[in-house]
Amino acid sequence: MSLENGKISSFQLSVLIIGFVFGASVIIAPGQGAEHDAWIAIALGLMEGLIIAGIFTALARHFKGKTLVEINSLVYGKILGNFISILFIWYLFHLGALVLNNYSRFLKLELYPATPKTLTLILIILVCASTVRRGIEVLARCSLILVTLTIIMAIFDTLLVVPHMVLHNLMPILDIPLGKLLWSSHGTAVFPFGDAVAFLMVLAFVNKPEKGRSAVFKGIMIAGLVLIGVAVRNAAVLGQMNAIYTYPTYITAQVIDVGDVLTRVEVLVAINLITMGFFKISVAYYGTVLGLAQVFNLQSYRPLILPIGILMVILALTNVSNTAEMFDFANQGYPIYTVPFQIAIPLITLFVAKLRKLPKIGGEEI
Amino acid sequence: MIALVLMGFGMVALIQIPGLVRKQWWRELICFTVFWSLGLIFAVILSMGIKLPPLTTIINETICGILGI
Repeated sequence: MSLENGKISSFQLSVLIIGFVFGASVIIAPGQGAEHDAWIAIALGLMEGLIIAGIFTALARHFKGKTLVEINSLVYGKILGNFISILFIWYLFHLGALVLNNYSRFLKLELYPATPKTLTLILIILVCASTVRRGIEVLARCSLILVTLTIIMAIFDTLLVVPHMVLHNLMPILDIPLGKLLWSSHGTAVFPFGDAVAFLMVLAFVNKPEKGRSAVFKGIMIAGLVLIGVAVRNAAVLGQMNAIYTYPTYITAQVIDVGDVLTRVEVLVAINLITMGFFKISVAYYGTVLGLAQVFNLQSYRPLILPIGILMVILALTNVSNTAEMFDFANQGYPIYTVPFQIAIPLITLFVAKLRKLPKIGGEEI
Repeated sequence: MIALVLMGFGMVALIQIPGLVRKQWWRELICFTVFWSLGLIFAVILSMGIKLPPLTTIINETICGILGI
């Protein structure tokens, strides 16, 4: 019995990936370490991100209709396979908690300073739990509406800040040390592009598996281009201050003032940030509960939704002591921490599967 | 605070357990109970004002320590 009966189209997958990549990356602006060259770091990171996507989609294409947990069991056997799967599930769980933490911090600092963080976290996780309970189809349908609105809003915001843009702020190009630029671009490759490896738990449910790979590439490409545009806009509007602000996208929207009539539109940006975060948290949450249900051989992942959601909230509440530590992790530890999950596990699994001539149907390699 | 936490966890158990018992999904019930209990323990610890170690910070310090970043 399959744990997920829903199917999504390749177009829905692309849109869901766009939402996933936007999630959190509009809060922690990618490539910020490269200062006003952030857009170059994102462009380089996008290329590395596409290589990472190439690895994990190759694995998904090799084992059509199987999630990473099922693939691991086939390739490594039950015990080692489940151990590797649990490591990957930990990564998804931690990713969900990190994004939850980012959002609750953003809400606390910018919008609801008097509201306890725990309450915001509980409300966000309840919305995500409700979606995860309804399955991947519902999540994909939500993305069609919300991602479209977010892209329209991003274009709208950008047009409104055009009068405040100073293109000279982008100069001089490439004046930061090469090492710093490459580190920043690697950071951008793993967050947000490489995080799309979470879709190894979703690609099995695409109705036309042969189109899954191109859908992932399209999603990452479109999201990457939008993020480059946002980075150029932020740097052009904020100048040197871009690297100092915690939430440059939000601050850029604060600049909008059309004849003293259209002001304070940053709240609309905040709504966008929250809805995109919802996708990232939901995909990570979905992957965690589905993966655990497959590891423990359960008939449904639904009984795990609430307890895992509670644990995710607890980890989000305790995983860092302050915002500075969160940014330190994003810039220093995270680019290394994610390599085993985003590159090593999919690459080694693909290599071992090829070596063992898997998958086999009736003794024949397919 | 602890009373609120216990009430919340009690509600979650009331929502999930009867359905699992009715369907005789014992494996699912065991998994649910294990994760639910873990959540309960950590939530009670937090609500008593005891701080849990910041896991992400520890991971970051370990990576930075090993690589000398």
